[in-house]
Amino acid sequence: MIELDYDVSIIGGGPAGLAAALSAKKNGAEKILILDRNSWFGGILSQCIHDGFGVEETGKSMTGPEYAEIYIESVKKEKIDLMKETMVLNLDKNKTIIAINKKGIHKINSKSVILSMGCREKTRWNIMVPGDRPSGIYTAGVAQAFVNLYNILPGKNVLILGSGDVGLIIARRLKFEGVNVLGVVEILPYASGLPRNVVQCLDDYDIPLYLNHTVCYIKGNERLESVIIAQVDEDWNIIESSKKEIKCDTLILSLGLIPENELSKDIGIKIDKNTGGPIVNQFLETSVQNIFACGNCLQVYDTVDLLSSDAKIAGKYAAQKEQSNKNEIFVQPGEGIRQIVPQVINKAGKIKFNIRVSKPYKSKTFYLKVDNKIIYKKKINWANPANMISFSAEINSVLLKSNKTMEALLDD
Amino acid sequence: MTKRKEITCIVCPIGCKILIESDGKKFKLISGNRCKRGVDYARSEALNPERMLTSSILVENGIWPLVSVKSSKPIQKEMIFSVLKEIKRKKVAAPIQVGQILIRNVSGTSIDILATKSIEEIKK
Amino acid sequence: MKNADIAIIGGGVVGCSIAWELSKYKIKTIVLEMGSDVASETSKANSGVIHSGINSATGSLKAKFCVQGNKMIESLSKEIGFSLKWIGKYVIAKNDYEIKELDRLKEVGEKNGVENLRLVDKKTIKKSEPNVPCEKALWVPTAGILLPYEFTISLAQNAAINKVDFYLETKVKAIEKEKDGYLIKTNNGDFNSKIVINSSGLNCRNICSMIEEPDFNVYPCRGEYLVLDKTYGNLVNSMIYPIPPKEKGVLGVHITPTIEGNILLGPSAEFIKDGFDKRTTKKTMNDLIKDAQDIVPKIPNNSVINAYSGIRCKLASKKEGGWADYKIYESKNNPGIVNLLGIESPGLTAAPAIANHVRDIISNSFDLEKKSKIIKKNYFTKHFSEMNAKEQNSLVKKDSRWGRIICRCEKVTEAEIIKALSNPLGAKTLSSVKYRTRAGMGRCQGGFCKQHIVRIMQDEFNMKLDDIKLKSPKSKMFFNKSRGVNDD
Repeated sequence: MIELDYDVSIIGGGPAGLAAALSAKKNGAEKILILDRNSWFGGILSQCIHDGFGVEETGKSMTGPEYAEIYIESVKKEKIDLMKETMVLNLDKNKTIIAINKKGIHKINSKSVILSMGCREKTRWNIMVPGDRPSGIYTAGVAQAFVNLYNILPGKNVLILGSGDVGLIIARRLKFEGVNVLGVVEILPYASGLPRNVVQCLDDYDIPLYLNHTVCYIKGNERLESVIIAQVDEDWNIIESSKKEIKCDTLILSLGLIPENELSKDIGIKIDKNTGGPIVNQFLETSVQNIFACGNCLQVYDTVDLLSSDAKIAGKYAAQKEQSNKNEIFVQPGEGIRQIVPQVINKAGKIKFNIRVSKPYKSKTFYLKVDNKIIYKKKINWANPANMISFSAEINSVLLKSNKTMEALLDD
Repeated sequence: MTKRKEITCIVCPIGCKILIESDGKKFKLISGNRCKRGVDYARSEALNPERMLTSSILVENGIWPLVSVKSSKPIQKEMIFSVLKEIKRKKVAAPIQVGQILIRNVSGTSIDILATKSIEEIKK
Repeated sequence: MKNADIAIIGGGVVGCSIAWELSKYKIKTIVLEMGSDVASETSKANSGVIHSGINSATGSLKAKFCVQGNKMIESLSKEIGFSLKWIGKYVIAKNDYEIKELDRLKEVGEKNGVENLRLVDKKTIKKSEPNVPCEKALWVPTAGILLPYEFTISLAQNAAINKVDFYLETKVKAIEKEKDGYLIKTNNGDFNSKIVINSSGLNCRNICSMIEEPDFNVYPCRGEYLVLDKTYGNLVNSMIYPIPPKEKGVLGVHITPTIEGNILLGPSAEFIKDGFDKRTTKKTMNDLIKDAQDIVPKIPNNSVINAYSGIRCKLASKKEGGWADYKIYESKNNPGIVNLLGIESPGLTAAPAIANHVRDIISNSFDLEKKSKIIKKNYFTKHFSEMNAKEQNSLVKKDSRWGRIICRCEKVTEAEIIKALSNPLGAKTLSSVKYRTRAGMGRCQGGFCKQHIVRIMQDEFNMKLDDIKLKSPKSKMFFNKSRGVNDD
């Protein structure tokens, strides 16, 4: 077994891991290692060949690979160690990592660990679509990898279920490759991706968007032959009379992302059921001391800019190794709020929060309250679950000493 | 004929809905933008719609079969499919650097197609 | 034209059991399978249960072969290396009627030769199965679980290395009587064989009718299943069965742990027209959860990671009560044709015993001389993920492909994927890899590994895009390359 020692070990070399590594270096860590299971770094960005990355961060709109390359070059310049095609088999509470690659098993002793494993995609069985089990059904990320990395087209007549950004982007991509994109089906009454993507990916190419619809049946003896779509009512029940059969040979599922936390769960890190990721404090430290989480495995982000900015927080404190504090308050989502990160505050100061609302709202006020006392408030003219909202709020030490629970909610 | 239209700005993720008035030659912004980039976008959308194009080009002798590419500038919407056709016919040899010009003046647009990824050569 | 002594039509668990048995003799045996791998149909889509024999009518072939097969399976698993776990079964009773039924089941079981059956009370079952509320239960220790595809593949691959030829994607189109045997016409050429074994499962009537007028009907009965996430694997320790429902001749929805730590809910029972209609339905999926929650209330609603269905080949209609015994016989009008009809539950358990019986039928008209040497190989040695660090490290040192993990969820290595694709049957679909390694069976259902497995198929096995299939001959994965389509 090859034994190594690092100050900070980072599991996952996508944008979160890369940004965290640079920040850790900047903040005093000397020996830093990034491990990734793929033969490349940059994670999912490698296949996100569309632009729109880095607008807030750099002022320029870049493609995914370009954005990744900037970070990878910086990481190499800073002499941060990289281990690719390496899978972490085990992580324990002592921050010892057991990882494997073609050179053998590695035992990596670390002072801090940053979890940046990203996320996986929801599958057909997460929404239990009945019918046959033919070939030709792909999740959007996998379809994107085949088209953009491997020079393979999954099909010729494609229907897409889910109008999140991943689904919209793949719609345009396939259209550019000469594929017949029959439409995008969305169960909500509005597209769940960014408005710019609805314009650039659907409107520009007259790709129909079926709102308030879902796929309720899959048909195909060996390869997909058709699907049945139907309109749904407010409770998402199928309206039988609206059923319509669409002939297609490929169904692409863009159903949403699930933060990848198998390693986290294995060591008993507390998980927030609202985000699907670890419960963290303002340093993005999990319930296990000196294990931090950032990126999509902490919570699914909308933009890489915000993701990188938050990841830098994790990197900074993984390097500095703050002492754990006795006084802490918990933060919980209340009325109108689906999730809030961080979920624990144990140091006074200006804290950066990210929230998602539970459904679309107009003209509301967002509050952070403790026992009806307003700690922070912000007017929100328009909010949508698909768009993460960030803000900073001052949390003082008196509040921390109270050991109470702070609620995040919307009100008029 | 002057038409009033609501367009969604695509410059940044916010996606402001901008109300404009245009006859295809002249342009007036009524309301909706939050920044100056929105004005420029609305104008170009009304008079000369263009889009940044991203795609991929076949690679010879590289560790990956494709290199992702982008247009050096937004391309006129109506030219997009001719540009894509030329991109599909092209082959480039590895090694390729990010930013390398792979096609100059694609389809006579005076816009170049640049590599957005580095691709190493296959080692024998 | 290819010649054989024995042609087995159908590479399911029965056909492959027969192939394994016959591979021990100095005769030429071939297997003709229309799917892209063995265990393509009913043999892979069932509960994976080794039955004790309590559910079969006394005096029936089902009972006889089930009890025989049950006794053979332990040594068979040691011989050719598939996993087997004797986790036992509780048949539970919740009311007086059901408690009486428990007594009846015990009696039938004992008449059939099932050993060690024991009635247990509420307190006892609560200790071993805290999540299964009931009044009384029948404990069946001779019930076990295996992976039906792993079992079938072990039989087939061991037969193959003992010179049984497997012809996959080979569909029988016609059978003609000849002077010294039968001419079998397929999409993959013609075969001549002295003996033809019809172990084609759901197709048994189609195959039979190619040579003679069938005097039976097949009534396909679909069973849907749900697979639960491994997180819920510890809700039960043994199999939990309800009292079998009166009509339909089926066992009812039960809870079955799997060797790999998942839980299966099912099967349902629905008589259908098309014997290959393997759809899963919304109503049944919902009913399965409800029926399962009646047995184990703690099963949560959102625990499903997969759903599938299997079709039972029944010889009795719903009206007739859905129960008929196996029909295994050599045709009188066409000697040399051996028909195996209606092999439904307990078919998996009965398979090795049925194979011996078929061998005996054949030995009446054929001199079966045993080979002096038979090769046995375990194709399902420890998963890499089950090894300790020392074992793992030494494998990587020997071959670095053991160090590259392809399936993240089940920790399957590149070496294992390549080994799976190099199987002696020549099966090379994504499912062939899945059933030999578990790659693609985890939470992400192939989200990470699919692209890497495809790359291995192209790079290591020179497979063209058109050849890459999901599971069956026409289940192509892709349309074409996106660039350089006309290049090769």
